[in-house]
Amino acid sequence: MENTLLVALSRQMVLERQMDVVANNVANANTNGFKADKSLFEEFLRSGAHEDNFVGNDRRVSFVNDRATIRDFASGPNLQTGNPLDVAVNGNGFLVVQTPAGERYTRDGALQINAQGQLVTNGGNLVLGTNGPITFQATDRDINVSADGTITVREGTVTQVDSIRGKLRLVTFNNPQQLVKEGANLFTAPAGVAAQPDTLSRVNQGFVEKSNVNVVTEMTRLMEITRTYQSVASLMQQQNDLRKSAIQMLADVPA
Amino acid sequence: MRALYTAATGMAAQELNVQVISNNIANLRTTGYKKQRAQFQDLIYEHVKRVGAQASDQGTVLPVGIDIGGGVKTVGTPRLMTQGTLSPTGGDLDIAIRGEGYFKIQLPDGTYAYTRDGSFTTDGTGRVVNAQGNPVQPTITIPQNSSGLTINQQGQVSVTTPGSTTPTVVGQIGLTRFINKAGLQSIGDNLFTDTPASGPPQDGLANNDGFGDMQQGNLEQANVEVVSEISDLIAAQRAYEMNAKVVSAADQMMQSTTGMFR
Repeated sequence: MENTLLVALSRQMVLERQMDVVANNVANANTNGFKADKSLFEEFLRSGAHEDNFVGNDRRVSFVNDRATIRDFASGPNLQTGNPLDVAVNGNGFLVVQTPAGERYTRDGALQINAQGQLVTNGGNLVLGTNGPITFQATDRDINVSADGTITVREGTVTQVDSIRGKLRLVTFNNPQQLVKEGANLFTAPAGVAAQPDTLSRVNQGFVEKSNVNVVTEMTRLMEITRTYQSVASLMQQQNDLRKSAIQMLADVPA
Repeated sequence: MRALYTAATGMAAQELNVQVISNNIANLRTTGYKKQRAQFQDLIYEHVKRVGAQASDQGTVLPVGIDIGGGVKTVGTPRLMTQGTLSPTGGDLDIAIRGEGYFKIQLPDGTYAYTRDGSFTTDGTGRVVNAQGNPVQPTITIPQNSSGLTINQQGQVSVTTPGSTTPTVVGQIGLTRFINKAGLQSIGDNLFTDTPASGPPQDGLANNDGFGDMQQGNLEQANVEVVSEISDLIAAQRAYEMNAKVVSAADQMMQSTTGMFR
């Protein structure tokens, strides 16, 4: 008889967690390069078989368990900004970022230049090129990023020449689901997952990749979660009423 | 219920976004104004089940994990230092910079500030000053009773003094640039000061060494595009509303929990 309550409780617990995932997606609806999360559920069977108590198929009790959050790695919409330091990656590639903790990967291409003239992310971490950090000179102007990530600038006063300052390093992964979100728009690769050079992705200068959160889907999911939670709550309430009346009736001592 | 707090970070971020956008729109007609843009990042994640963790003693690993994020944070509101359009005014001392560089202004306390707003005038002693009366560097004094004030593309100021037929050069307006223009700090009055992030100021002359040239009789308009600001505003407002929806949905869930047992 406790099964109803416990099964319902397992459902409510995962619904709450799914709600947290939806809330995080909606909160990041305007975050550059953000990839939406999705909850995955699985049926969790109560182990019924015992040597002295074999429970057959007709008495199967399944609980619900959240197995994983998977990431939707679809590209977000590209917003035209016209800023020469905004780059959007077109394809599956990631930009490589040097952090104090090691190499990280990002799709957030809103870049800046720091006081040393190095190309950095908004968080101040170095963006790596194929030959390490990309550094600009004080007299550089008209920064141009070509489709393969090569960064050229114009320099010189009398004779103006185009000089190459570096090439953005783009990497890809066999299974991007193995990447771990670290916050600050960064992904880390766990041990054993190696980044491979990406030659297929293209870079769009003057664009940023917005969040790929589909707010309509998130709002629908939100309604679904709230309503399911409510109906599970009312299920538990009915079960409680049932038990209450059972106790009252069974314990009713005739006078 | 973490969703409540997650949605609250989303609402706070969108509120700041609307503040930035409204400041851009308010400065639509401000000479030399550079638009700002709010940039967001996701907060840290709780790894409830870490991907790649051992799933059994046979060495199998979890192919996917459970990561629950904590919301969003604002990482900065960098300025977009792109060129604004030049609009002709006809003023003798209205100068627009076409390209790199900032005018250098000396503040009353002796420090320097930098601006793209080239609407200058002369003060009682004939010095070239900005709208607040602070002298443009290097200080240039326009002689009394002179006429025909001309500023060429290099910033050289020449006037014709009474009794002379040839113009004389009275000074050259300098320009300053920074390796990271977005790192400048705004102090209001269309002025910026240098910071450790902008790098040290590098003084130079217009039309030289990659500096832009000066256009007399023009002013640089703000680089704010109304259409993109309005569409950003709509997006920010809707994102705010959706975060508010998450708050009320989380509230409903908690309400149904409290109302579960009578």
